[in-house]
Amino acid sequence: MTCDETLRTQSYLDGELDGAAAQEAERHLQTCAACQALAADTADLSDLLRTATRHRAPDALRGRIGTLLDRERRPARPFWLGAASGAGAMALAASLAIFAILPPSAATLTGAVTDAHARALVADRTIMVASSNHHTVKPWLAAHAGLSPPVTDFASDGFVLTGGRVDEVAGSRAAVMVYRHGNHQIDLFAWPDRGAALPQPGMAHGFRSRFWKSGDLDFAAVSDVDSGAFEKFTALARAQRE
Amino acid sequence: MDDRRRRFEAQALPHLDAAYNLARWLSRSPADADDIVQDAMLRAFRGFDGFRGGDAKAWLLTIVRNCWRSAGAATRRRGHTPIEDENLVDGEADPEEAAIQSGARRRLDTLVAQLPEEFREVLILREMEDMSYREIAEITGAPIGTVMSRLARARASLREIAKDCT
Repeated sequence: MTCDETLRTQSYLDGELDGAAAQEAERHLQTCAACQALAADTADLSDLLRTATRHRAPDALRGRIGTLLDRERRPARPFWLGAASGAGAMALAASLAIFAILPPSAATLTGAVTDAHARALVADRTIMVASSNHHTVKPWLAAHAGLSPPVTDFASDGFVLTGGRVDEVAGSRAAVMVYRHGNHQIDLFAWPDRGAALPQPGMAHGFRSRFWKSGDLDFAAVSDVDSGAFEKFTALARAQRE
Repeated sequence: MDDRRRRFEAQALPHLDAAYNLARWLSRSPADADDIVQDAMLRAFRGFDGFRGGDAKAWLLTIVRNCWRSAGAATRRRGHTPIEDENLVDGEADPEEAAIQSGARRRLDTLVAQLPEEFREVLILREMEDMSYREIAEITGAPIGTVMSRLARARASLREIAKDCT
């Protein structure tokens, strides 16, 4: 059994379509047996591949790369930096100073949570308290971050609570709930709301982020999972109650 | 550590596992994957000033793939195509469970490793690294339509050979 629409159905299943195109593909899927079979097969294959090995860079390689980068000399200073001395540099410095005293803007918040997530991944210290039990993670966060965000394990939905840590987001201490989805990690940040405007959902350095407010806390989810899983996770996280 | 190095560590290094995973699946050899990733990270660092934001993961994986292609040309001249399967098993809590899992995982890994190159890479990028079609097109240098049809064929052939083996 074949169908001319299989590539479009595949795009839909891979989360590549949105709006009207997605609706159209969805409608087609409801009536086409071939595409329904494709959808089931694709999901099965995805589940199967989740059990294949995702290789991690060996520590020795990580160390060797660090040493190689240490040996790299700084590239020569671009000529225009030399020219930007004197009055130009003063003006530049003045404009930078204005940015420095503003409260964190929406754009810097996206950078702040993405960087915090990336820093933790690099240093391999994403988890300070390892537990899938929210009764363990919640009091630990309360004691170490001074914050009591809701902590829920979404394992039945495919998002396994693996622990928590204390981090920093734009100068505020933040509690981080760490989840695992397949081979990917999702960090859920929570920090005290100070009335700052929150950024739109976005993508920076390969990580998705989404922000919301709840009670007296600001929240941000950050991860490199695909958009479908990320939407599902943020919906679950936003719906949880104290 | 200077600012450039710090930015590189913050933006590129979080994707080192992804880089290694791709190199490992493309080359199918731990030793070659080591060399490819080392070379790629050095090239990425030297070219980092040319990276104007955007997706650091896709950027890094593009460099990894290019390094693999140039290494591949040398390997092909030497005439060896290694398929090694050491280091496949992670530490699991329950040894019995681990043995069952690792057996199934090892078989699956072997099946994926046997797929043709152009199928293997789209499958790894899509299913393991969650890259979008546009990003896969960028990394592999193929048009999006080609990415879509390769992905469909890759899934169909893996499904086919997985069925024969289970």
